[in-house]
Amino acid sequence: MKAKAKSLKKNAPAIPILVWIGFLVGVPLIFVVVLSFLSRDNLGNIVFKFSLDNYKRMFDPIYLRVFANSFLLAILTGFITLIIGYPVAYFTTRLKAKKRSFVTALIVLPFWVSSLLRTYGWVILLGKTGLINNVLVGLNIIDQPLNMMYKFSTTLIGTAYMLIPFMIIAVYNSVDKLDRSLLEASYDLGAGKWKTFFNITLPLTIPGISGGFTLVFIPSLGMFFVSDLLGGGRTVFLGNLINTQVTRGRNRPLAAAFSVGMIVLVVLVLLIYNRVTKNKGRELF
Amino acid sequence: MDKRVSAIRTFYLSLFFIVLYIPVLSVILYSFNKSPSTAQWTGFTLDWYRDLFRDRVIVESLKISVQVAVLTSILSAILGTATSIVSMYVTRKMEKTIRGIMLLPLLVPEVALGISLLIFFTALKLPFGILTLVLSHSLFCVPYVYIMVQLRLKEINKSIFEAAKDLGATRGQIIRTIILPLVTPSIITSSLLALAISLDDVIISTYMSGPTSTTLPVHIFSMMRVGVTPKINALCTLILVGTFFIVGLSQLFNKKVL
Amino acid sequence: MSKKTLRKTITALLAAILIVALVGCSGSKDAGQVNLMTWGGDFIPREIIDEFEKETGIKVNYKEVTSNEDMQSLLEANPDQYDLAVVTDYMVDILRQNGMLEKLDKSKLKNIANINPVYQGNYYDQNNEYSIPYAISTSFLLVNPEGVAEKGAKPITGYADMWQEELKDSIVVVDWSVEIMGIALKALGYEYNETDPEKVAQAKEKLFALSDNIVRFETNTPEDSLVNGEAVIGFMYSNQAVKGQAADSKLEPVFPVEGMPIFIDGFVMSKDAPNKDNTYKFLDFIMRPEIAARIAEITNFTTPNKAAEEFLSDEFKNNPMLNIPDEVAENTSFYINVADVLEEYEHIYTEFKMQ
Repeated sequence: MKAKAKSLKKNAPAIPILVWIGFLVGVPLIFVVVLSFLSRDNLGNIVFKFSLDNYKRMFDPIYLRVFANSFLLAILTGFITLIIGYPVAYFTTRLKAKKRSFVTALIVLPFWVSSLLRTYGWVILLGKTGLINNVLVGLNIIDQPLNMMYKFSTTLIGTAYMLIPFMIIAVYNSVDKLDRSLLEASYDLGAGKWKTFFNITLPLTIPGISGGFTLVFIPSLGMFFVSDLLGGGRTVFLGNLINTQVTRGRNRPLAAAFSVGMIVLVVLVLLIYNRVTKNKGRELF
Repeated sequence: MDKRVSAIRTFYLSLFFIVLYIPVLSVILYSFNKSPSTAQWTGFTLDWYRDLFRDRVIVESLKISVQVAVLTSILSAILGTATSIVSMYVTRKMEKTIRGIMLLPLLVPEVALGISLLIFFTALKLPFGILTLVLSHSLFCVPYVYIMVQLRLKEINKSIFEAAKDLGATRGQIIRTIILPLVTPSIITSSLLALAISLDDVIISTYMSGPTSTTLPVHIFSMMRVGVTPKINALCTLILVGTFFIVGLSQLFNKKVL
Repeated sequence: MSKKTLRKTITALLAAILIVALVGCSGSKDAGQVNLMTWGGDFIPREIIDEFEKETGIKVNYKEVTSNEDMQSLLEANPDQYDLAVVTDYMVDILRQNGMLEKLDKSKLKNIANINPVYQGNYYDQNNEYSIPYAISTSFLLVNPEGVAEKGAKPITGYADMWQEELKDSIVVVDWSVEIMGIALKALGYEYNETDPEKVAQAKEKLFALSDNIVRFETNTPEDSLVNGEAVIGFMYSNQAVKGQAADSKLEPVFPVEGMPIFIDGFVMSKDAPNKDNTYKFLDFIMRPEIAARIAEITNFTTPNKAAEEFLSDEFKNNPMLNIPDEVAENTSFYINVADVLEEYEHIYTEFKMQ
């Protein structure tokens, strides 16, 4: 009894925040879940009859392939942004204070240009008559323009480009607070640069890595216009599927089922990750 | 620092920023394109900039977007930081629950969230416009602030708190004088991020705006149907130049920085 | 400035912004307004709206959306916030059946006589009570004849020619399941909106044979792919084809012999519209002949306004993409909303895209 009252008192300040977020997100979430078990009539209106049809349709090989595509894109985006972004964050923390804030601003700045336009920027670069091809052909390095558009990799480049600032900032926030004296100690004990990095820096910055991975993985699953513009619609991703079902398909219950599928997928990934790192005492972030 | 490592660092960062900014530079370059489409370059012109200044709709939507973004950023910063600090003082179990709930808004696909919020807010009889936009944008910006501040918070040496408590500091004093100053860099970077995310949001904004509050990205997206004209490139160029200017100014005036 | 005063000024500033923002968002209600909702990108040209505002003092609030279904969602959630929407024919049908639309009072629309009767009384509004046509468009093929010849393919006269092997990776199409199924159905000699599972299965097979030839699915600016040489054939909407030809005069329209779809985008009024009188004024304004002619010239859509014809430029009137010739018009048909087959279409289409 006493312990329960104690924990309640401890948890009291959290309640308003939980209510706020829980309410604002909880209600839509419940709505989406409920919707996924309903169906629609000819005019796109909801029919209030419980049915598992949407889920049956979701477990169709074609739609499952779409899930797989998105999952692959998200994981690859996570890795690419990690590999490219980690050094950026690491090096930035090593800069002198003034340069550091300048560099941080430089990283976030492109965000203020509409992401749609920046994607068009890639179209301008990679298109058949785009900048890269024009330059290469003009300098006679190649005689036929390179075919870089409308592939899975094109979408991957676009998605990674769009999301890398999240990874960088997450890792930065983690590396920044790293206790330098630990590194000093490691060097003093005779460990080389690489050994110190892998044994001390990397493990200590895992929270930043996971945080960054989460913030990159989840949005990648929902992306749609990048795959439309850069992928030419040649690969179908979850974001496309859900959007199409809501608009063209006028089938919101089915879109809701896909949404639930996506949420479950993400939660599974997060849970597996938590389980894997449970013993190391380092959970998600 | 090692001279060689310093050189590698400069090289890598420079390379990274070149690649990061090339698409941005393409956007800027094509704001001077005579042809309205990105398919061809037909010559240099300043016409789009001229058109931009005459375009009331773009200016109006920019105003609304900025308003929403700033308010969202502030609201998210406050809520996200508060949640982060609170989760330091609650039970372990509650901390995990908070973490889970904080991630929820990011999990739901935007279309699903948009339509559900549309119905929800209509049922609540909320006026659709700045209010609903800020509420919905904050919903998915708060997690970012929370995560970033958490990262910083976790790295703080716990012994500092012990020492402060021993010296007789109250919880409020600890928060104000120790925690907040230490997490301020995180708050600032994540607020900037929230600002950018809000400025860029399309889907949720479509459903959350009223008849008079079309935001800039929604305006741009709906322009896509007939082709985004370089007018938008001109707008983005100006925004970029403007923010560069502000950043540059703050660099000059700021002796003590992050 | 000390840190404390700096913080105080910033807080004060933020508070001020907050207050201004929340207070400053109540709209002005002096001369009245009209709440309009439709596609963006100058679908209803800004200069026309400005003229209306100047002439009548009524403010037009133009909310831009990106799909018919978004308009449906917004209208159904808040029917008393919107006066007018311009939706495509199948959506007029849906909204009408859902009882969302106001029966138009023709007595308040003296210019309605200007509308070409051919575009009225169609399947979605047979008694012509709920909608007023605004823009007409069709889908057909835009072709680069030189490019086609260079690939070694025969000249294009209809959908059937798209299946030629030589046209690998040379076709760009709009990104809509119904349109793509439509191509396959027509190529097999069937009609649009086919629900017979046997015929749909045949269309699926026929369609999959085409997948190698498609280089890109693009709804917004497919003509770009023809202009930059990525594709030599494009299946797109008439206004896009017009833009394509304007950018590259080598490109030519081909009206497929098998037939084409036609779209009528029309005004509908919400049953709970808050500004009905102003809305009628706006509609009447749009239907003035000179105004309709200017709208057509700016937007590159065919105008449903017969009286506007005398104000159209010769260039417009002589362009078969904009001034649809009678033989072509006879060979057009509507896409009707067939919900039971739509899902199958979407499924086939998704599979098709991933081939």
